[in-house]
Amino acid sequence: MSETNNETIQQKTERLSMIIAWFDSDDFTLEESIAKFKQAEELAREIETDLTSLKNEVNVIKQRFEEES
Amino acid sequence: MEKPQDNQLIFCVSDFIAIFNQTIEYSYPSVAIEGEVASFKVNQGKYVFFDLKDSSGSVGCFMSLFQLRTPIEDGMKVIVMASPKLTAWGKFSLTVRSIRPSGEGSLKKSYDLLKTKLEKEGLFAIERKRPLPSQPKSVAVISSVQAAGYADFIKIVGDRWGGMRIDVANVQVQGAVAADQIIRALNYFNTQESLPEVIIIIRGGGSADDLSVFSDEKLVRAIASSRVPTLVGVGHETDESLADLVADVRAATPSNAAQILVPDKKETIRSIKLRLGSLVPIIQNNLSQYRSEVNRLVNLALDNLDIKFTEAASNLNSFKRLIGQLDPNKALERGYAILRGEYKTGSIIEVETSKFIMKAEVKDVRNK
Repeated sequence: MSETNNETIQQKTERLSMIIAWFDSDDFTLEESIAKFKQAEELAREIETDLTSLKNEVNVIKQRFEEES
Repeated sequence: MEKPQDNQLIFCVSDFIAIFNQTIEYSYPSVAIEGEVASFKVNQGKYVFFDLKDSSGSVGCFMSLFQLRTPIEDGMKVIVMASPKLTAWGKFSLTVRSIRPSGEGSLKKSYDLLKTKLEKEGLFAIERKRPLPSQPKSVAVISSVQAAGYADFIKIVGDRWGGMRIDVANVQVQGAVAADQIIRALNYFNTQESLPEVIIIIRGGGSADDLSVFSDEKLVRAIASSRVPTLVGVGHETDESLADLVADVRAATPSNAAQILVPDKKETIRSIKLRLGSLVPIIQNNLSQYRSEVNRLVNLALDNLDIKFTEAASNLNSFKRLIGQLDPNKALERGYAILRGEYKTGSIIEVETSKFIMKAEVKDVRNK
């Protein structure tokens, strides 16, 4: 996987959601907002790259199910 | 009376029965017979007896209750897989290995009976349903890899999402052995050291008979007892199987199962961009609010300064008016005069009016 810092897409998406939620929270300050926006932009770019590059790994298992093993 | 020939074997009864059974087992190791069920009964909670008949014949059947995978009633048309046998008491019967309803009416009847039974047990209850993970990383699929439904599923999942490990159990999805194979695959995935996050059971469309596999009682119970949440997508949108009803999540088709299993990456990227875009107005609004606040404060300061100036100007005018009123010339203009000198009889005093300054003698001084 091309995920950086071993973070999954879901973890990155959750982190992005938290940053976006910060903009609507009482913690919002104009001074911090630009840095936070840049972080969000970077995360969004990483998620897009991950989503477009990752492929599924299909593995047909060898176990046979015709008879009780 | 006919007599045995010299070289002809003479059997004892039990040997004859054994030889007969051996012969018939060799000729017909397994027969499939279609007929109508009559005199169906279960003895001691273990053994099932019934007659299989058509318009001109009837044969007794025996099977263990354990092998009965679907509800059966008198009058149902069924297909049995059985071995013919002559019993020690000389009664011919079929030892049934499997039985399944045949024809739309019987399939429907059997389906309804089992549905009612399992519904009473609470197997389809909403409270039993578990949610599926929104972005699974490891899933298991039970299907036939030759089936069109399977190909659709894998393609759509690949189009929609990536980074997943998909373990596939290749099983038959129709026919007498299908239910047992699917059950074995379910057991396989449920006993792995590392469990998948979801087990997906899929099969494309087919006849009611083909799809009846997914209403097999043992299979339905195996799905219900799966440790791993299940997603079942069998047949077309209008098809309903008991596997659908017992699954944690039901999909209308294999393609729909793919849509339920994973989000659409294009939609996800679009949504992220939209959310990101929504932050710009928040920053702009805040900037604008700050600007407005600064403007308001500057205007307030200017207003206050204006008020102070006005107050000062007004005070100045009042003082001017007061000073004007205190000017002695104003009193002279109103007809008053200023007297200067000693106020005693015979002294000369100066009298000043608005127009003249005069000298006058004091003739008399009295207290008022």
